[in-house]
Parts: sequence; structure tokens; C-alpha cells
Amino acid sequence: MSGGFLPASVRRAVWRRQFLVQGCWNYEGMQNVGFAYSILPALVHLYAGRPEDLTKAIKRHLEFFNTQPAMGSVILGAAVRMEERVAAGEEDPRAIGTFKVGLMGSIGAIGDAYFWGALKPLASVAGAILSFVHPLLGISVLLLIYNFPHLVVRSRGFAAGMEGQEKAMTFLKGAGFKLRTEDRKTVAAVLGGIYGAMAVWHALAAGVSWGTAALYFAAAALLANLFTMMFRKAVSPSELLLLLLIVGLLLFPR
Amino acid sequence: MALRFLMAGLLGGICYLDRTAAFQVMLHRPLIAGSIAGALFGNFAAGAVAGAVIELLYIARLPVGASIPPDDTGAAIFAGAGAATAVPAGAPIDYAVVTALLLLSVLCAEAGKVADRFVRRINCRIAQVTIAAVDRGDIAAVDHGLLAGVTLFGAVGVALAVGFSGLGVLAGRWLPGMFTTGERTGFAQLFPLLPLLGAASVLSCSRSERSAVFFYIAMAIAFGVSLAWNWGLR
Repeated sequence: MSGGFLPASVRRAVWRRQFLVQGCWNYEGMQNVGFAYSILPALVHLYAGRPEDLTKAIKRHLEFFNTQPAMGSVILGAAVRMEERVAAGEEDPRAIGTFKVGLMGSIGAIGDAYFWGALKPLASVAGAILSFVHPLLGISVLLLIYNFPHLVVRSRGFAAGMEGQEKAMTFLKGAGFKLRTEDRKTVAAVLGGIYGAMAVWHALAAGVSWGTAALYFAAAALLANLFTMMFRKAVSPSELLLLLLIVGLLLFPR
Repeated sequence: MALRFLMAGLLGGICYLDRTAAFQVMLHRPLIAGSIAGALFGNFAAGAVAGAVIELLYIARLPVGASIPPDDTGAAIFAGAGAATAVPAGAPIDYAVVTALLLLSVLCAEAGKVADRFVRRINCRIAQVTIAAVDRGDIAAVDHGLLAGVTLFGAVGVALAVGFSGLGVLAGRWLPGMFTTGERTGFAQLFPLLPLLGAASVLSCSRSERSAVFFYIAMAIAFGVSLAWNWGLR
């Protein structure tokens, strides 16, 4: 974590506080209170003895803000760097708001696709499969697969942001999130297929013929396809589960 | 039993904080919440089975922008506690009861979502108060505002976890007499559909044709290998 004027202890405090960026998530300002809380140690240090400037700086960060929380580390680091320049009179304070608003949408979309749409499903399906070997193995693998990249992005993203806006953009371009997202989605799909096969396997009684097994497999593949299409058409899993509950109660009464 | 509910409340506090307000290191995932709820109520393995199935059911529902996905953490706490109560430790899993618990857990998932929305509405007021206090020059209000938000998320999480685990224990005591037991009879016949829903949920996260091809190839290979491994080639 390199930077200009801030001591390392302050930068570390800001880095630690980013883990609470959603602590007061609300429908109006979304992560506004969390962002102001995260950057507060830096502001207090930079505007020491200038209470009016400090209040103005805090208010700047209490404006609407929302992005993917792990990717937000890049914006947080860059905002700290920009506040250093603003405090030194080298930059217009309005540039900070423009930068945050300009980046939070695109960075949020990249982060949502990578963390929520690819890495989390990958970690979850790997954990779920391995939990059938031993639950503790599944839990460990889930936590490792997700948290290694998660903490690396939080750490390197913040450090890149602290180097300035250009370094932040270079980090985002160089990290190859698009390619990583596609790769992880593909691996998650492969593991999802294995998990689906385990479901078919569970449905079969021992000793059935290959023909019956093939029939079960074909039915399961068709069902998986049907469910996937329904999910993509925004049918909620809750609706399908409720439907199954009703079907079960009708077909298998006490 | 009171100690178990106390521990369940603690589990809920940690999991629900991790879910939105703090860290987000995936401690709230159903596999973890369900397994620990199972361990607290006497059967770690049964809780893990319930958690592993719920793990993937809602994976395609992303917490993007203002959208709130169903509360799979609460669903797992309910199903984990229920499965552990219904199935004594060391006994074979009663899939009819576990299936019923998993299907009933959808009610917890939706109730938890409503509670999450409620917390975020209250947080609007906290944020407004924080901004007003900062206007008056009270910079400590930022710390206090965040602490209030985190406390609210945590307190509601504790209440939800105690409530859901209590409902799970009740369901776990009541359900075993309701169904024909057996791995492939009665209600248990629906069980394979649930992991299949989970697998479809994972596939629906990707919209590329390549992923679909890999999914079905992997499914076919895994199925063929497990058949050959378990039965021998006929």
C-alpha cells in the first residue's frame, strides 16, 4: 500500500474499515454511510485542525454510492489519494464525486459478474460436491476458492487506487476480469454437471438396467434444461420449490 | 436446549452480518449455516446434507443494486436444525423428512427477505440522522451511524436465526410421523429434483453456449463413471 502523505497506520485503518462498507446499507444513499466510515481515518488525518474542511469532506462521501463491495476497494483507494491532493490544494474537490459516480457503475457491473455471477457459484458448487466426501472439506474448499481472490482484489485494488486514478484503471484493465469471469463460469458449469449427475445417481435404485439408467439420465438432462430456461426467464426458485411442495403434498399424502 | 438456541442466535448474528453488513467472506453460505445448525441440534451430517442442497438453489439470484435475494442462510438454519432434530446422529438420513424440510424452508427464505428489506428501510432513517448530525459538525455521527446499522443487521439476524431454528426443531419433531420413510418412496422421490434445481441454477448463471455444452458433457461423464464404478460394466 503505497501513497503520498498518509502514514501506513491510517492507510491500514481505511483498508480494514472497507469490510464494513455495507454496514448501514439503505435504499436512499445505499453504501454512503459505509464509504464515509471507511475513508474517515484518512479525512481526519488530512484535515486535522481544519474542522470546516473536514465536515465538507465527510459530506462529499455521504452522497449516494453503490458498487460491488470487494471492487469498491479500488474506488476507496483512489478516493483517498484524491483527498490527499484536495487537502494539499492540488485538485478540485468536485473531481472526487465525479470520479466515484463515473466508476461505481462500471466497476460494480464487472464485480457483480465476477464475484456474484462466477466466483460464488464456482465456490458453492465445489463446496457442495466435496461436502458429500466430508462436510468440513466442502466448507473449507468453498471458503478458500472464494476468499483467496476476494482478499487479493481487496488488497491489490486498494493499493492500486492509492497509486492514483491511472494506476487504478491500469489495475482494472490488467486484472482481466472478463476472461476470469468466463473461465470461472465454465468451470462452475462443469462442476454443476457433476452435481446434477449425483442427483440422477441418487434417484436410481441399485441393480437397474443400463437402459433404465439411460432413461433416468435423459429425463434429468431435460429437466435441468427446463429449470435453466425457467431461471433465465426470471422464474424464482422459491416459486418452483413451492410448486414442488404442493405436488408432494398432493401425490404423497399421509 | 436454551443453550442451543443461544448458540443458534450467535450463529445467526455472525452469518447475517457476513451476509450484507460486514466482511462478506461467505460464512453465511447455506452449506456452513446448515452444517453448524445441524451440529448445534445434534446431527452435523444431516445439517450438512440440507445445507449442501440449499447452497445452490438460490445461487443465480444476485444481490445486485437494490435487489435482495431470498434468504438462503435462514432457509439453511431452518432445514439444518430440522434435519438434525428429525434424524438422530449416526442414523441413516430420512430423505422424505429432509425433502419436506427443504421444501418448507422456502417460507423462511422469503420471510428473511422481507426482514432484510425492513432493516434497509430503517437504515434510511439512520443515514438521514447521520447526515444531519454531520451537517451540525458532529463527525463522530459517521461511526455511530455505521454502528447502528451493523447492530440492526446483527440483531435482526439473531432474532431470525433463533426463530428459524425454533421452527426447524418443531418441524423436525412433527414431520417424521407424517411420511412413509425410505430412500426412494413417498416424499423422498422428490429429493433428486432439488439438487437438479441447484445444478440448473448454476448453469443459469452463465448464458454462453460453451458452458451448457460443458455442463451436459460433465453430467454424462460423471454419471457414466459412477455407474461403471458402482455396478461394473454389464
